[in-house]
Amino acid sequence: MKNKVVEILTSYSTPRQVSAIGNEAIARGALEAGVSGVFSYPGTPSTEISEVFNMVCNFQSNFENEDDYPQLIKNRVYFEYSINEKVALEKAIAYSIGNKSAMCVMKNVGMNVASDALMSVTYQTIVAPLVIVVCDDPGCHSSSNEQDSRYWGNMASAPVFNPATPGDAYRMTKEAFRLSEALRLPVLVRTTTRVSHSRGMVAYNEIRPAIRQPFFERMPEHINIPARTAAAHKKLLEKLGSDTVTPFFAEFNRTYFPGNKEYGIISSGVATSYLLEVVHRNELSEKVEILDLGLIYPSPENDILSFLNKGFKKILVLEELNPIIENATRKIAQVHRVETEILGKNFGGIGSTGEFSLEIIDTVIGAFFGQKTVKYKEVEGLESFSQNLPPRPPALCSGCPHRASYYALKLLIPRENGEVILCGDIGCSGLGALPPLKMIDTINHMGMSISMAQGLAEAMKEKGGKVIAMLGDGTFFHSGVASLLNAVYTKSNLLVIIFDNRTIGMTGHQDHPGATHLDKYNQIEILPLLKGMGIKNAEAIMPFDMKDTYHKIEKALATEGVSVLVSKAPCVFLPEYKEFARQDAKITVDHSRCNTCQNHLDHEIYCSRRGSSQSNLSRAIAKIKADKPVDARDLACPANICNHGFFHSILEKDYKTALDMVRDKMLFARACGDICHRPCELFSGHSPESIVPVKQLKKYVSGIEANFRDFTNAKERIRHSAPKGKSVAVVGAGPAGLSAAYDLVREGYQVEVFEKEAAAGGLIKYVIPDFRMDKTGFDFEVGQLEELGVVFHFKKALGKGIRLEQLRKDFDSVILSLGMGKVKPLPAVADNLPANRWSDGLAFLKKYNNKSLPIAGGSRILVIGGGNSAMDAARAAKHHHASNEVFVSCIESLETMPAFEEEVKHARDEGIVIMPSSYAHQCLENGSVTVVLHGYISRSLLKTLEVDYIVVAIDQVGETGDYAEVGAENLSEKGRIIADEHNGLSNLSNVFVAGDICAGNHMSLIGAIASGKRAAVGVRQQLEGYNFPYEGLNALLGLNGKRKEQHASLPFNANGSLTEFLSKFNLFQSCEKCNHCIDNLGCPAMIKADGKIVIDQAKCTKCGLCIDVCPNDAISWAENGKMESVF
Amino acid sequence: MKGTVKILVAGVGGQGVVFFTDLLVEAAMHADIPVGSSEIYGLAQRGGSVTAGITFGEHTHGFLEKAGVDILVGLEPLEAQRCAAYLHRGSTAIIDNNRIYPYAVNAGMEAYPDVEKFIEFLKENIRKVVYIADDLGSLEPAVRNLFVLGKLSEEETFPIPDQYLVKAIENIVKPGSVQASLQAYKAGRRNNELMYPVKKGW
Repeated sequence: MKNKVVEILTSYSTPRQVSAIGNEAIARGALEAGVSGVFSYPGTPSTEISEVFNMVCNFQSNFENEDDYPQLIKNRVYFEYSINEKVALEKAIAYSIGNKSAMCVMKNVGMNVASDALMSVTYQTIVAPLVIVVCDDPGCHSSSNEQDSRYWGNMASAPVFNPATPGDAYRMTKEAFRLSEALRLPVLVRTTTRVSHSRGMVAYNEIRPAIRQPFFERMPEHINIPARTAAAHKKLLEKLGSDTVTPFFAEFNRTYFPGNKEYGIISSGVATSYLLEVVHRNELSEKVEILDLGLIYPSPENDILSFLNKGFKKILVLEELNPIIENATRKIAQVHRVETEILGKNFGGIGSTGEFSLEIIDTVIGAFFGQKTVKYKEVEGLESFSQNLPPRPPALCSGCPHRASYYALKLLIPRENGEVILCGDIGCSGLGALPPLKMIDTINHMGMSISMAQGLAEAMKEKGGKVIAMLGDGTFFHSGVASLLNAVYTKSNLLVIIFDNRTIGMTGHQDHPGATHLDKYNQIEILPLLKGMGIKNAEAIMPFDMKDTYHKIEKALATEGVSVLVSKAPCVFLPEYKEFARQDAKITVDHSRCNTCQNHLDHEIYCSRRGSSQSNLSRAIAKIKADKPVDARDLACPANICNHGFFHSILEKDYKTALDMVRDKMLFARACGDICHRPCELFSGHSPESIVPVKQLKKYVSGIEANFRDFTNAKERIRHSAPKGKSVAVVGAGPAGLSAAYDLVREGYQVEVFEKEAAAGGLIKYVIPDFRMDKTGFDFEVGQLEELGVVFHFKKALGKGIRLEQLRKDFDSVILSLGMGKVKPLPAVADNLPANRWSDGLAFLKKYNNKSLPIAGGSRILVIGGGNSAMDAARAAKHHHASNEVFVSCIESLETMPAFEEEVKHARDEGIVIMPSSYAHQCLENGSVTVVLHGYISRSLLKTLEVDYIVVAIDQVGETGDYAEVGAENLSEKGRIIADEHNGLSNLSNVFVAGDICAGNHMSLIGAIASGKRAAVGVRQQLEGYNFPYEGLNALLGLNGKRKEQHASLPFNANGSLTEFLSKFNLFQSCEKCNHCIDNLGCPAMIKADGKIVIDQAKCTKCGLCIDVCPNDAISWAENGKMESVF
Repeated sequence: MKGTVKILVAGVGGQGVVFFTDLLVEAAMHADIPVGSSEIYGLAQRGGSVTAGITFGEHTHGFLEKAGVDILVGLEPLEAQRCAAYLHRGSTAIIDNNRIYPYAVNAGMEAYPDVEKFIEFLKENIRKVVYIADDLGSLEPAVRNLFVLGKLSEEETFPIPDQYLVKAIENIVKPGSVQASLQAYKAGRRNNELMYPVKKGW
């Protein structure tokens, strides 16, 4: 760096050959011409010119260099990155008027901003020389247009140099100072990207600084008033036509290969460089004379006319972009009646757009000379390798704070409906328009975002919806600030987000009023400035604090009027960033949580979750917004329903998908919504406030009738399953058997169900009282099985119409889901009371359901038993007649009753008296029934009760006939069929067991369903070599083992906003189809390899954003600690 | 063409394409070889594609054209492939298998091209292919390009003699990194077993 400054500041009495890019050559030319002040605004392709002066300025102001390089710091050059191009040029003009030579540097579009100053100063006067360098960008490599800035010379009547090479650029810049001084006019040096960024040999010469004393002379020209303007214009044109310019034409408008030639070519700028190369290699110098125009305004009419008069057969004009020289040439030819054919734009494929290239010039030369040009031998088929390759657009850097702000916006603003319009701006922040962020709808020119937003807000007023302007701090200071004043003053309704990274990022970290990384300037904080403007709703956000950023943007979006958020964090290239990010730590990814499904193995190919990024977003939003993170694996369902996908579908208000996710795993969505005892909630160990109300949600989604009636997806699944050619008999059409049938029929099995009753449904249908559940809905769900292809045989039971031995022969597998339809008799009751005074629980409930209970109103009824059937019976007795008095006696205490706490509570709420730790010691019939209750522990008299009827709802057992068929050796002591807990396989080789009759099974709907599913997996393992275990197994086995926590979830009001209620939860779980960070963040340090995210440590800048982004909580710091802001 | 050698350096923003170019220009200056270069790097720091042209000889200024490049230096294989059409039958391609996946590939929207197929095609159809398939194990990423420069320096159509390249490295590279850079450069010159054949299964 230092070498470079020393080289460029050293005066060489003998020319020194240096390789320099065009922009460095320009800087050197200006130094040799004695420039003493440089004013610029950065912008590619002009930036390196300013960077030289920035380096020079820093070098000269470093006192250490005073002793080592006294010669180099003697002539100090003032340099500044001005706030914008207009200010830069205005200040440069003023500097010249103060008798100091000045240069002003900008890119093509910058000239438009500066043009106001240019257009009138030529009518007035400058004093010391002033050179304006403007760099055009044909081909738009890094600009928002490819304007031809040569026009500015014509428009403002200022001379224009147009260099072809770095060497030209050096000489022309140097001489531009001389011409400017002679004419007292600003002089433009216009380059293009190809010249500015080409490196070539340049001879550096002596630096001869002009000795100028600061001086201001009062002159009438300094006051621009209309009365003087007309005269000034005339004088200006006279200046341009004066002889002063002539020697400059002679010096910079050169001819190549002069002589008596057939062909003439006029060319300018980089076209000349291409042309000379093509002419040389085709050895055309004998045929052609070339006029290269370097000083193109004022129009070099004499040079062109004498060239036209050389008697060429035809003349070609070559210039990039607009036909300025061509039109001048045609005009001259017309005025002077030159007949030679003139070719230019539209000849040989040259147009007014884009950049020239060797190919283009080669083609046009071939056409012009009518001959083939020399070329290397092409490789056939090679071009196809370079086509259709993945593009590599520029992206925000890893750790860029803009990405964090855009990400927060992405979570907040749904892009599908277009209600919020996002107006972006020029600079790094504009990269937010590219995938995957895609959070920008408009980008125009520097600083327009705020004007665009306020104009759109005004236009959209009746329609509503918010408009957001987003711009970087540099762009804000450049011109956004004026626009914001306008918004405040006109009472606009918009949100402005200023991405304040304290530098101009895109062009290489130049100074601006908010820059902190150099102490030579005053730093201007944006927030106080906004407050000073009278903006009340102005706040700073720290974009990497994702929760806070999210909430602040959310609040600002809801605010009327002008609100401004200053998203402040340093650019990753600034030294401050190192203090800001956790350089000591490392970010790691837990691959067991990244793109891994915890819930898919039993039906691995079916996942109802859509693959859209929208569902990823709802998960990501929950992560940021919710205050209660719950791992969905805590809420494990024995039926293995993906509660996580279910929950997020509901968050997205996609209730159909939510229902389909339940139905993907089981048939009884509505029945579960009614009567599931929700082990997923109760056994989670979570407090009521943090229990996601899965059961209530199930009831909600299955309550939407249109969705409930639609079983298309289950049927669709059968269509996609290969028929297995295997048959399964299911004996017993309770929820367990039906669940097994449901899973197997959808997998392509032939399933036949045998049932002893006249209809399917088992205990659920016949025994659960209708006030607890929707029986019609249940019948509909059961009815779907027939639609799906399950064949039913009713009024068949083992030993009655079917034999197990025969079924085992006729079918590949048999599933026994026989149920336990009999209640154990209680001798104290059965032996002492007549049949009209008592009933068992199941018979009682059956009669209740078919409305044939032989009990009059006002009766006193005792229910014996402490399980759920006892509670059902007690409540049924109460529901039968409100005037009935109902008592429950059970041997357990209130805490140890097998009935679910909620059921007990319901019973007590309905006025049922529960007498725990008691048993019926004696029963007597004497007109009514007298029951003597003893304490179960004390074994002494507790109470004597007079009742009319007794219901015995104690232990249930299976049918005697069933037991006989299965064989006593295959039964457990408790009358259950022995089966493998992993797959329900009994001791009989092709017989599986499910439901209550299965040993170790839990008596509940979800337990029955789960054991049916387990048996189906067992069948599949046996018949098709299915490799996976039943994934709900742990939850199923846990039904018996775990202590009931009995926490009820908080009830939600289904009439209120469900989504809002749920927004406090983040029910997360890793999901195989996640891809959220790749789809939405696109950090260059994140690579997806073999389906998992890997952090490229070399690229990672330790910002930690990805940790907050990952909905699976798979990413974390390798060490503990917290990132702290330096602001 | 006659008397000229044209080199295209292709890579990704941040890989050091511009620095590589500066080195070649500096070395050519020391060797008194006329040199020109032309670069497009407006958004280079933001990870986009970057290319630079370096030309040696009279009447040429760093400008390249299709089927007009004598040596393609691919610092990244996808970017090398993107410039395939610049090669002609007599070209040499020096390609470093230093893959950097663009977003579209990371996002699974597009596939990274089959580099092996490309290299095989080049081997059949151009003068010479130098493929650096190894991950260059211990070599620091920052000096990896110097290893590639070493390979380039051994190419017989490359006009700058070794000592000028060394001089350029000493002049241009930050003082603290000169030793490591020279080491990598020399390793590139020495380490010939990486050149042929193309390793399978990378």
